[in-house]
Amino acid sequence: MTQEFIIIVALAGLVTLALKSAFIEGQHYFTLPKWFVDALEFVPPAVLCALIIPGIFKGEVGLIAAFGAVTIDPKPIAAAVAALAFFMTKKTIPTLTAGMASLYLVYWLQI
Amino acid sequence: MLPLLPGIIPFGLIAGFTPVSFGYTWLDSWMGSLLMFAGASQLAAYQLMNEDASIWVILLTVAAINLRYVLYSASIAPHLADANRTTRLLAGYGLTDQIYAVCHRDYPIHNWNLNERIAYYTGGTLLLWGLWQACTVVGAFVGQVIPVFWSLEFMIPLTFLALALNTLKTRAHRVAAITGAIVSFAGLNLPYNLGLILGGLAGILAGVLFRRVNQ
Repeated sequence: MTQEFIIIVALAGLVTLALKSAFIEGQHYFTLPKWFVDALEFVPPAVLCALIIPGIFKGEVGLIAAFGAVTIDPKPIAAAVAALAFFMTKKTIPTLTAGMASLYLVYWLQI
Repeated sequence: MLPLLPGIIPFGLIAGFTPVSFGYTWLDSWMGSLLMFAGASQLAAYQLMNEDASIWVILLTVAAINLRYVLYSASIAPHLADANRTTRLLAGYGLTDQIYAVCHRDYPIHNWNLNERIAYYTGGTLLLWGLWQACTVVGAFVGQVIPVFWSLEFMIPLTFLALALNTLKTRAHRVAAITGAIVSFAGLNLPYNLGLILGGLAGILAGVLFRRVNQ
């Protein structure tokens, strides 16, 4: 546990607490502008999708660290299969299972 | 509350073992659960720390993911307005999707006094908190014995994928999601993970504009 790590996690904790307590604490002092409330509902799809991209297109999975590189990166294909699984089942566990299974499969097919 | 508990077990385990797959210890992994107590932002924080993102990008992303709590907080606030400061702060720390859902549903239909409302909130939150902490610690210990080649860190983007696809209720939400993804992809090689921040902002803006034009 480095000092930098502790600072980042502690600050992230403070930011989270500030947002969670924003109104429970601040209800006597301010109200939210309407444009802000309207924008809030688009935060989850926009931010989560932006967040997925580096996880899918950047970096190397443990498979590659352990057994060496392959020509086609298995991550984008695995993510596409996972998305398909979600649209078919609407459930998280099958989505994760399909994604991980196709990650292994696409890697294994190339060695 | 009880029917909502099983759903957090796999997510708690993932939140526990993915930081370990990046090389953090079980204690490092648990710190996030203790200090943040907000699953999706925990995963994002560890992923970004692993990518050496700047502290501002990490905090901004955590804030963005947790913005929904402002809405929850606003909806719960009137029911806890007369509680003392310590209780209010603890209630803030313990705020989750699940406790919001049950309180939002049950406070208006019961004629509870303040103490009953606090007891209801505390009971549900303690259950959820205990289970969440237990799951992250168990997940972190399991993660320490799982070999690297299992590539469990890939479950972070997959989890976000499932969470994101679950939010696509209207066309405006889909526009926000697709814009966020495209801009983030275009900005993949920008320094400090700026592509991620720009993608999020562009997506929100696109969603708002799309709704405004189509109303």
